[in-house]
Amino acid sequence: MSSQRQASSAAQIPHLSPAELSYLYTSLSLPNSPIRPDGRSPTQFRPLSAETNILPGTNGSARIGFADGTQAIVGVKAEVEKTVLVSDTLDVQHEAQGTGNGEGGEGSSSAVTGGHGSWVQMSIEIPGFRDDDALPVFLSEMMRESLVGSVGVKDKSGEENMAGGLKGRLVINKRWHWRLYIDVLLLSQPLSYPLPLLSLTTHLALLSTKLPKLKSKGEEDPFFDDDWAVAEYIYPRVLGVSNTLQVRPPVTLLVISVGENVIFDPTREEIAVADAVLAISVTRDNEAGSLQPLKLLSIRTIDPPSRLTQPGIPNSENVNMLGAPAPNENVAVLNPATGEEEVPGVWRPRRGGVKRSVIAGMVKTVLKKGGVGEEVLAGLEGVEVS
Amino acid sequence: MLELPTIQDTMNDRRRINGPAEGTRPPVYASHLKSGGATDRAQRQREPTDLRKIFLKTGLIPSASGSSYLEFAPSSSLANARSNPKSLIPPSSALKLSCTVHGPKPLPRSAAFSPNLVLTTHVKYAPFAARKRKGHIRDASERDLGVHLETALRGAIIAERWPKSGIDLTITILEAEDDRWWADAPDLHDASWGMMNVLAGCITAASAAIADAHIDCLDLVSGGVAALVSDDSTEDSAAAPRLMLDADPAEHRSIMAACVVAYMPARDEITELWLKGESSKIALEKGDQRSAHEALIDGAVDAARGAHSVLSEAVRETMLRAVTPL
Amino acid sequence: MTTPLPQVAIPGQCLGSASKYTAGPGTHIQQSNIYASIAGPVILDPAQPNTQTKSTLRVSRTIPAKPHLASTSKLKDRYNTLPAVNSIVLARVTRVQKRQATVSILVVLDEDSLDPAQTSDNDNIASILTSAANPENHSTTDELRFQALIRKEDVRAVEKDRVVMDEMFRVGDIVRGSVISLGDQSFYYITTSRNDLGVVMARSEGGNMMFPVSWKEMRDPITNASELRKVARPY
Repeated sequence: MSSQRQASSAAQIPHLSPAELSYLYTSLSLPNSPIRPDGRSPTQFRPLSAETNILPGTNGSARIGFADGTQAIVGVKAEVEKTVLVSDTLDVQHEAQGTGNGEGGEGSSSAVTGGHGSWVQMSIEIPGFRDDDALPVFLSEMMRESLVGSVGVKDKSGEENMAGGLKGRLVINKRWHWRLYIDVLLLSQPLSYPLPLLSLTTHLALLSTKLPKLKSKGEEDPFFDDDWAVAEYIYPRVLGVSNTLQVRPPVTLLVISVGENVIFDPTREEIAVADAVLAISVTRDNEAGSLQPLKLLSIRTIDPPSRLTQPGIPNSENVNMLGAPAPNENVAVLNPATGEEEVPGVWRPRRGGVKRSVIAGMVKTVLKKGGVGEEVLAGLEGVEVS
Repeated sequence: MLELPTIQDTMNDRRRINGPAEGTRPPVYASHLKSGGATDRAQRQREPTDLRKIFLKTGLIPSASGSSYLEFAPSSSLANARSNPKSLIPPSSALKLSCTVHGPKPLPRSAAFSPNLVLTTHVKYAPFAARKRKGHIRDASERDLGVHLETALRGAIIAERWPKSGIDLTITILEAEDDRWWADAPDLHDASWGMMNVLAGCITAASAAIADAHIDCLDLVSGGVAALVSDDSTEDSAAAPRLMLDADPAEHRSIMAACVVAYMPARDEITELWLKGESSKIALEKGDQRSAHEALIDGAVDAARGAHSVLSEAVRETMLRAVTPL
Repeated sequence: MTTPLPQVAIPGQCLGSASKYTAGPGTHIQQSNIYASIAGPVILDPAQPNTQTKSTLRVSRTIPAKPHLASTSKLKDRYNTLPAVNSIVLARVTRVQKRQATVSILVVLDEDSLDPAQTSDNDNIASILTSAANPENHSTTDELRFQALIRKEDVRAVEKDRVVMDEMFRVGDIVRGSVISLGDQSFYYITTSRNDLGVVMARSEGGNMMFPVSWKEMRDPITNASELRKVARPY
């Protein structure tokens, strides 16, 4: 029970010995040229295979498989629902004019066009976890908040610009809206922190999601065209600058810092020695005049599992080594990254937090022109969405 | 005036007469609406860099090994409304929460060996804490808060000093912050902004309770919130959104982005960062070269520094009460 | 270096340079400076004269009670400490098996009270036990206390192979022991193989408090029946 609780945000702590942890940390923190166990460059992602529209019973779906065998399936389903005005909302202008008698408040608010964040529901199922465990809850809140947090671009070219973002797209009229269920299924126990896998799969599933074409007009009860061929994508296919889709769902990237290095798409072993773990959600920013190709939607710190690891014991303190001659290099030195006294080669669990400059550096690597965020989005655009 | 809630949930128990599913609110009378008063939006009276006053006291619960109680001073509009009520509806709310620490105690028999202290956090809203009633079972947002809090505290605790043991930290939120002004419909930038203020309060209170329980930690970690808000005055003109420390969501028309940090001043380190909203779209005031998210983080750190001064005074005060003046 | 030490410290407060002092309990080192990690009075233990060692800086967990309030003060003046290797504990026997006895740790005696200048602990055992035994958890269930094992070979120093556990401990006895290992996930390991360690309080089968008569025998003052125990030497 408690081991599951510990796994809450830190994912699973791999059974690595202090010596292995120390070796891994040293090679990952080599200045400017970290050596990763699988030989990737710091910003390189693991190879993956992706396909979309695999589930006929959904409005949109996708599957992504990593080379290590972990697979995620996402199905998106939409339902029409009556809009209930939140009971603690008061339409001030309306009431102050004294004209609003007998309408019962419903549908009278002008602000309904904004849509509700609660209309997007996300559930994540991970084998080995109960669905109310902290990890699935944390992951789904993290991904949902960037989905509904994006409010789209301002008027520029056409009408299909997704004003109000995903939330706004779900509004049918003042009395009806779509409710979107995003159900994520991880097919096997995750071998690493499953966030990148889930986020990429959700991104593709939303891209392939279609809603039936509305035939009713204005405020009448909605009815839809039953021809699926004319259904509309929830993320409209309008090409923007540089021939990319104008609006895209956000992606959440997992970034770790080890020493002075910033490493993307970490494996479980790499997370286990990280000084800091951040989940950074970004999406494309096609607004005219923006300096960066991407905009930031959210940042969350994730509890690094390195805080819970077993410490190594330096030879000078090891009872079994008391008779052995103490080697001279066994002296504690100051680790510049953590400010702690450490014996080189002896693992100490990380403690403390992360400096602001490190966070700024990690965000910059994601956001900058030609940076990792853009690379990932470009890679996802290469997946053919049928 | 009171709208009838539609009962949507088909899972409702039909054999009983259930209450309204959505909850109700006290009535607002037309006379109040005409004369203003009840529907005056709360206005921020503080400077952008001023924090609300914090009341923090430790060691209040004798059966726990550590405890604390935290309260934010009500904003001026709320204080006015309380002294001179024009309506049954308070214009805003002020955070009140209590925190207890139990332990260190042995891990449950089923648990695996841990060389470090195992921290478990429970964050629970009292059913009456928010305008909408909360159930007794923890919902997703409460669990989410618990994970954030755990991340913030794990970085501050020196866990290897307490092998094989665990502490349970429980926070009860007695009064929560609103996500927006009560009479506003959720708008484009709507999100649970109040939750971020709650988290900042939870971090500060939990840190005081842990110090009260004499658990080793690197520093007293405190929470702070900063937000980029666009207010009524800037609605028409395209003026830059302003950075506000310790923003009360009820006092602002629209919050564009907000950030909460858990911060340790002695090391200048952040143990928990939660930023959300479209921040990079926002241009700051002229002359500010930072990007919006950096300004937000810096602002939240400044707010946390303010909370830290209260926190360290509260911890020192509790200790001085017990220590003999030499 | 001339700044005087603060009387009391709160976590995160810088106390001094690590080149001048050694960091003791309740402190930690960061960037070559000693910082407090708990709130409490700062205590400087002077170094042994004629040695190269630096004086030790520590933050005390126990708060000295105010003299005039000592009896009436309701403030906690004891804070629980974890059992560590070599710490002396008082524990109650909960189960006696052929090869081991299971005990539940009531109190970890801190170094201050082990000071030989003070009165012996046997005198205030009763007061320790009648006051909330473990101030940190008022619940009396054994589940919430640290559990420990006394293995057969750790009962006494001599004739280890002749030990019969039933003749050493009975359920309910209060034992003074020394921790030898943090053990596995659930149990600490305790030894009583010293003269000053062993049963300090026990009731006879008749339910009367017994007094020690030898290192392996205790007697019921009312029925005069004697029972076998591994008895701790009374001071």
